[in-house]
Formats: sequence, structure tokens, C-alpha cells
Amino acid sequence: MSALEFLLAGTLAAALPLLLAALGEMVVERTGVLNLGLEGMMALGAVIAFICVYHSGSHILGFAVAALVSAAFAMIFAGLVLGVRANEVAAGLAIGVLGLGLSALFGKTYESQTIKGLPDFGLPLLSNIPVIGPTLLTQDLVVWLTIIGTVVLWYVLNKTKLGLIITAVGENSVAARAIGYPVVAIRCAAVAFGGAMCGLAGAYAATVYTPLWADGMIAGRGWIALALVVFGTWQTGRVAFGAVLFGLLSIGQLSVQAMGVALPSQLLSSLPYLATILMLVVISRRRMSLG
Amino acid sequence: MSHLLQRRTFLKTTLAATTAMALPMRAMAQDVLKMGVVLPSPAADVGWSHTLMAGIETVKAAYGDKLEVTVLENIAEGPDADRIANGLVAEGNKVLLLGSFGYQNGGIQIAKRNADVSIIHASGYLTEPNFSPFTAKYWQGTYLMGMAAASVTKSKKLGCVGAFAIPELITSINAFMLGARSVDPTIEMSVVWVNSWFDPAAEQDAAKAQISQGVDVIFSNAQDTPSVIAVAEEAGVYAFNLNSSMVKYAPTKYLGVVGTDWGPHFKRLVDGHVAGTFEGLNFWLGMEDDVVYTADWNAGIPADMVAQITAKQAEIKANSFVVFQGPLVDQSGAERYAAGVAMTVDEMLGMDWHVAGVTTPLPK
Repeated sequence: MSALEFLLAGTLAAALPLLLAALGEMVVERTGVLNLGLEGMMALGAVIAFICVYHSGSHILGFAVAALVSAAFAMIFAGLVLGVRANEVAAGLAIGVLGLGLSALFGKTYESQTIKGLPDFGLPLLSNIPVIGPTLLTQDLVVWLTIIGTVVLWYVLNKTKLGLIITAVGENSVAARAIGYPVVAIRCAAVAFGGAMCGLAGAYAATVYTPLWADGMIAGRGWIALALVVFGTWQTGRVAFGAVLFGLLSIGQLSVQAMGVALPSQLLSSLPYLATILMLVVISRRRMSLG
Repeated sequence: MSHLLQRRTFLKTTLAATTAMALPMRAMAQDVLKMGVVLPSPAADVGWSHTLMAGIETVKAAYGDKLEVTVLENIAEGPDADRIANGLVAEGNKVLLLGSFGYQNGGIQIAKRNADVSIIHASGYLTEPNFSPFTAKYWQGTYLMGMAAASVTKSKKLGCVGAFAIPELITSINAFMLGARSVDPTIEMSVVWVNSWFDPAAEQDAAKAQISQGVDVIFSNAQDTPSVIAVAEEAGVYAFNLNSSMVKYAPTKYLGVVGTDWGPHFKRLVDGHVAGTFEGLNFWLGMEDDVVYTADWNAGIPADMVAQITAKQAEIKANSFVVFQGPLVDQSGAERYAAGVAMTVDEMLGMDWHVAGVTTPLPK
């Protein structure tokens, strides 16, 4: 295996937790709600999935329970923001804090335990292609399902009535209500979806990508996912591209270091964040020139 | 860093609640020495906090019910840690164990204000009459690991996943390299800095990146979880780590552990506090103090190498062999120390260069 093969094989896995969480948050934000609690919801999903897989050995169960629990947990946020109209920034941060705290609490007795990840498998025929076959086209099941899911999400948001309703609720909630759409219920559903996606992201992080539990293992990925939504300008394709780019940067810098290239590792480590800031600048400049 | 902030806030709230409940009972205890312990990470089955707790257990065993220990784990470095340490003093704890470098400045302030409190502090360079830091000479052990690594590597490429490029980690890496080259001078090593004390996913990726480039022995330098060790086992390459054994995460590929046993040191200091002879010295402890040890050597290391390692370990312990002694050549090939010239303690504590054989340039 060479460095190139490492990057081809590892990029999608590194991107996946970011992608899942960012897609969920993208839908939430498209309905006009901002949930900042991604980090906490991911951590909760991660510990729940880890505990399930640790005891049952079933990743399907782990992912399902993590999605349900994180979705239910996100409903606390929905209740605060959509129910009693609490400030969404404060509520989102509070949910994030609570999620991290709960994950530490539930994970206490599982600290530094390890489990088995998922096997990779290649696409039929395609995995025989040299170089990219055994690397890029050989991934675990969750990666394949997420790619399909991303396409489906793109289709739903851009080509279906449901997508239009979500856009309407987000861009003009008064008009949406006037023509009879249950705005609060739709936003609630979006928040639950966002929570479930964070749960899946956490589950992937703790049971497949890094199959171990350690308190704090999400290590800021929820915040990167949040930045990714902005980076991708709320477009499915761009968010997916951004996630892959971030994944590539995060493992690419490690690979570059291992090769002995004389670049400061601190700078390399901060590349994903620099890329986000750069994107924000580009977006706001474009907006200014339009205005 | 905001996620840390949040976790900290949550912990603080729960902590305040439990402390408030426990206070009335504590006030009744008489003639019992109260000791407070502040740990930077959760006290798991392995890792740094686990190692410190193992040392505390030794003290507990010696003192029995004459010692009451309060342990606060997973406390982020910074103002909150200072407040928590202050709280422990206010509750009547007379000995504090502060388990991380970042607790140093707050701890020094507490030591200055409370002459009757003795503080044992992990790493750092400041001292007070009642504030005593301690550090391990990990490099004594990593030199031996280098010899072992040289005997099992096929690719002649070693790797290291490091947390931050600070002297304590750099000396461990350099000694590992020196040990390896003492057996085979063609061996090279790459180093990947994760720039985080804690990010298991990045640590695993750093290990995988090196494995993909042919590395077949990995030094997990300052990771508190078995992230690197588990990946190495999966990929079929050897790995070792510091502080506490992680052999159960890599039953076939575990090269060994450079362990630390702080029990005797902690007990000596607590004894000193009780006897009124506590001294604020900076302890740099190694094999000669029975603090640094090696264990769980891999069965695949050839018998003659095991004999060599055992002999070298005895020499290090007896101080008849000095690891950082010339000729020492740096990465650029320039001789830093001529034959027979040993590095001083201060030079080692400030080591900011790699020895020849380390292929990754040191970040500046």
C-alpha cells in the first residue's frame, strides 16, 4: 500500500461522520432553524451505538438505536425552540453541553474499551480496477449506504414537493403557514432528522471509523460539520464535496508528515479550518458584489 | 475548544452538587489525612490517569483508613482546574496531586498561599518548598524498545504517532531511534504529530498513514487510549506505548510497554508531608528509582536480543550506560555531541532537535 492508496482508501471514511452530521444540519437549517448542538448529539449517538455494539455485536442495532436516541434528544431542542420559543443559539449550545455530559456519564464504564469495526467490501466488477478498485471502491457498508442516501436527499430536496415545502418553510414561514403547511411540525421533523443524522455520524465514528469509546472522541467534528454546512452553502452536492475535501485534508496532512515533507504540522492540522474561513470570505464577497 | 468548555461546565455542575452533599460528613473526620487528586482525563483501565491512580492505590494501601482520597477526573487545564484545586484545599485536603502540566501555574499559587499544603505535580519546571513536580525518564525505556524494534522490523522503517512536539516527547523519540540504530544503523523513522493530546480518530489515521508507507513498528507516544495500539494489531505491525500496558488490545503484536510506577514516589512524598520533611524538589525519575520499567515484551523478539536488552537495562539502571551521550549526530548529519560528552539535564529537558535517522523534520 502506498501513500496514494492510503488516501484513496481512507478519505471517504474520514469524511463520513462530517458528511452525515452536516447533511442533517443542512436540512434543519433549510427549514429556518439553527441547531448548534451537533457535537453533543454526535457524542451521545457515539456512546449509545458503542454500548449497543459492545453488548450485542450488532452494528445495525447500534446505528438504529443511536439514530433514535439522538433524534429523541434533539426533540428537547425542538421543544425549547419551537415549543416555548427559547433562543435557538442558547438552546443549541445547551443541548450540545448536555449531550457531551450525558455521553461522558453513559460511557464511564466503557472508557478505552474497543470493539470490532465493519469489514470493507468492494463493488462487484469495479473493485477489480487497478489502484482505485481495492482502495476507493472498497469501503464499508455504511459508506455505500451514505452515498446512496446523499443522492436520495439531493433528489428529495431539489426534485420533490417535500423539498419545495422545506424550502418554503425556511425561506418564508409566514407564507408557508398561510397556504396551510404545518410549519412547526415540519421544523420539528427536520430537527428530529438532524438529530438522527448526528446519531448516525456518532455511531460511525465510535463503532466503525475508530471502533473504541473514549470520552471526548468526537473531538470537535460536530463543529467542523456545522462549518461544513456553511462551506457547502446549504447545497447537498457542495456539502458532500466539502466533507470529502475535509476528510482528505485531515488524513492527507498526516500522510504528508509521515513522508517527511518539511511543512509545519500545526499549519497542516489547521487546514480544514482555514478552508472554512476562506469559503466564508468567498461567500460574503460574492454576496457583497451581488448586493 | 468550545466542546471542552461545555463538558467542563457540565462536570462542574455535577461536581458542585456532590461536594455540597458530602461536606457535612467530611467535617466529622478526625486525624485523617485528606488528599485531593485532580486528573486531566477519565481514570480508565489504561492511560495516564490510570497510571497516577495506580500510584495513589499504593499510598492508600499503606495508610488504610488514615487517608481519605478525593479524586476529581477529567478536569480541563486552565482556570476551572485552579478553582477545583482551590476547592479541594478549602475542604481541608492537605496533600494535592495535580496530574497535568497545565495545572502548574494555578498549583504554584495555591502552594504559595497555603504553606501547610503539600502539592505533588505531574511535569513542569517550577518548584516551591511545598510544590514538587515529577517527570519520568521515558527515554531510558524507549531506547530498549528501539533495540527490540530493530530486531523485529523487516522494512527497516519505524514510525511514531506523537501528540505535540515538546522536549519530553522528542527525547523519547530520539532515544527510540538511538536504540534502534545501535542494532542496525540503516533504520529510519517517520514521526507524525497529531497536534492534540486527545483525538483517537486522528491518532489512528496517523498510524495508518505511516503503515501505508511501509512502517512496521509504531511508537504510540503520549496517547491515552489504545487507538494506535489497536490499529497496529489490526494491520499486523508491532506497536508499543508508555505508562501502562495495552497488551490486551494487541495480543500478538504488542512490542512491550515502557511503564511507570509512581507508587513508591507518591508514598515517599506523602510520608514526607506527614513527617514534616516534604521538599519542593523537581524529581526526574527513571529506572534507578524503580519508577520506569519495561514489561510485556513480545514473544517474537529473538532470544539473543532479549539478553542484550536485559543487559542494557541493567547498565542503564546502574548508570554505566548513558543514552544521550556523544557521538550524537542530528538529522542534518552535523555532530551535536562529540564522543564521550553527555547531554546535561537542562539540555535534555529542552531538546529541540532529532537525531540522525528520523526522517520527518521537526516542526518549528
